[in-house]
Amino acid sequence: MKKLSLRSRLIIFFTLIACAVWAAAGVFSWLETKEKTDEFFDTYQMALARQLAATDWNGVTKEHQKKTDRLIDKIRNADDDDEAIGFAVFDADGRMVFHDDENGKDFSFQNRSGSFVNQIVDDEEWRVVWLKSADGKFLIAVGQELEYREDMAWDMLEEFCAPWGAGLLILLLATILIISRELAPLNKLAEDIKNRRSGDLSPLPADNIPSEILPLISAMNQLLAQIENMLERERSFIADSAHELRTPLTALKIQLEVAQMSADDEKTRNQALQKLQLGIERSSRLVEQLLALSKVESSLSAPQINQEEIDWRQTVIAMIDEYRHEAAGKNIAVSYKIEGCGPIRNGNPVLCSLVVRNLLDNAIKYSPEGAAIDIRIQDEALVVTNSGVTVESRHLDKLGQRFYRPAGQNEKGSGLGLSIVRCIAEYYQCRLRFANTDTGFEVLMQSNDL
Amino acid sequence: MRVLLIEDDPLIGDGLKVGLEKSGFTVDWFANGADGEEALFQAPYAAVILDLGLPEVDGLSILQHWRGQGRVEPVLILTARGDVDERIKGLNLGADDYLPKPFALGEVQARLNALIRRNNGVSAAVISYKNIIFNPQTRKTLLDGQEAALSPKETALLELLLLNKNRVLSKETIESKIYSWDDEVASNAVEVHVHHLRRKLGKNIIKTINKIGYILEDA
Repeated sequence: MKKLSLRSRLIIFFTLIACAVWAAAGVFSWLETKEKTDEFFDTYQMALARQLAATDWNGVTKEHQKKTDRLIDKIRNADDDDEAIGFAVFDADGRMVFHDDENGKDFSFQNRSGSFVNQIVDDEEWRVVWLKSADGKFLIAVGQELEYREDMAWDMLEEFCAPWGAGLLILLLATILIISRELAPLNKLAEDIKNRRSGDLSPLPADNIPSEILPLISAMNQLLAQIENMLERERSFIADSAHELRTPLTALKIQLEVAQMSADDEKTRNQALQKLQLGIERSSRLVEQLLALSKVESSLSAPQINQEEIDWRQTVIAMIDEYRHEAAGKNIAVSYKIEGCGPIRNGNPVLCSLVVRNLLDNAIKYSPEGAAIDIRIQDEALVVTNSGVTVESRHLDKLGQRFYRPAGQNEKGSGLGLSIVRCIAEYYQCRLRFANTDTGFEVLMQSNDL
Repeated sequence: MRVLLIEDDPLIGDGLKVGLEKSGFTVDWFANGADGEEALFQAPYAAVILDLGLPEVDGLSILQHWRGQGRVEPVLILTARGDVDERIKGLNLGADDYLPKPFALGEVQARLNALIRRNNGVSAAVISYKNIIFNPQTRKTLLDGQEAALSPKETALLELLLLNKNRVLSKETIESKIYSWDDEVASNAVEVHVHHLRRKLGKNIIKTINKIGYILEDA
């Protein structure tokens, strides 16, 4: 049953139910008809028996029998309808006194009165009523073949059921037609989806679709839009990455050429080799950050990512420890305060430490010598401030955009650190705000719930 | 040949400056678009290398501004995007050639030479004068088929004179065209170079026009 179409299933179920109802009605009618015909014939037999019982059977002889036989022959020729009724008259000793010259003569004697008995007559089952005659000297037996009764009931049932059968047929044909017609838009839709090219993510048409299916269509269209969105992001990510890789590659190529053409100029060659090394470091860092961002993006679009309660204190301490040398190298003091439960309560610990790592990395990288960095965990918020440097306000909005680096940066940043933070913040429905303060620069990540 | 380079990437800018200077160009490098845009009005440049992917000022708008101000220096644009539209836009705005990243130093050099040559109405790959053949690409000078040992600045001076045949070039013009802002120029530097060239290539090759400057005349 599992691979049948909805149409076939509906048709099969409907046909089965209609046939079952029809069969049940038939059986019920059969039983009813049978009971009624039985009742009718019983009454008829009893009436005949009563009439015969009222007759005076004293002195009935063989002569009478013969005379009657001839009479019956005549009647029989005139009317062929054989109601399969027979009768016989027995005296008190069980001798047959009179019979109808037909089946009646084969009746075997039963000593009872006023009751119906099913008995075998001439190898057929008969229903026979036994009744004492009015004077009590004779027993009257009136019988009818049961098969006749059944035939009769069967005939009646046939008459009754035939129009119903025709009706059933019309009903089924109409059902098949209607189901096929009503399901045609769905079939067309399925065909459309099947014939789609893999890159075609345009929405499915919703016209002629029954309202029950519309939610499915709109859900699918929503999914298609999401996929398209994702693919678009992926495409622009790849394009941006390729573009970003071209610049460091050019730098490597040119510095290498300078080194090659400076075989006789050791100073220039050494400088070029130094720059080449710098360029390689910059490229590796860019590739690393690209990988990190792509990992964050793909893990965020995974259906389930590991979520647990975030211990911000531990995360912050671990990151400060990790950047101890970088900070000490620029004589930067990093402090922290835990005043609340942080912007994300339940989340992925790896992603949350990526947030702290990138913010701290940026703060150390772009702060001047001797600056102070402060990381504060508040209720629903994370604030990282660094002193001694501000960002021109026209750049503030663009911070966090992929590969965006304000001009005049000598630091070997990839322009991806804040995009990684922004990506994670968006996933956890947090706002990311960059602002200049009186003494420096501040990044605020705040839960949207607030 | 003095060339203006506007490139924000420190490694590419430095590499181009050092590399092009090794092959005889004089390079003024600006990492900042606004400064670079202004620089073209301050010194005579034989050509400009302009990166379109500048962070602050769009390279294309710099180009547009120059052309709008009537600057006709040949411009070679550098683009990181493989975008055909951007190249077409650049060429339509008055760029003379483009190079998509990643490019090789030799390619920049070759394109610059071609641009400068074309701009001076020379289309042959080598410039001939009397018994001298100069190849701007290899920076080699042949005298009667023999290679003459010229220093880069001497070569640059010779190239300048060859490209401006029959035109008198003042000492100041020559200085501004073969030295960059970064160079320290001795007051008699041009005289010294002319002297050396005469010694190496023949006494009569460069004519001095008194109090005006120097000229390379057709015989």
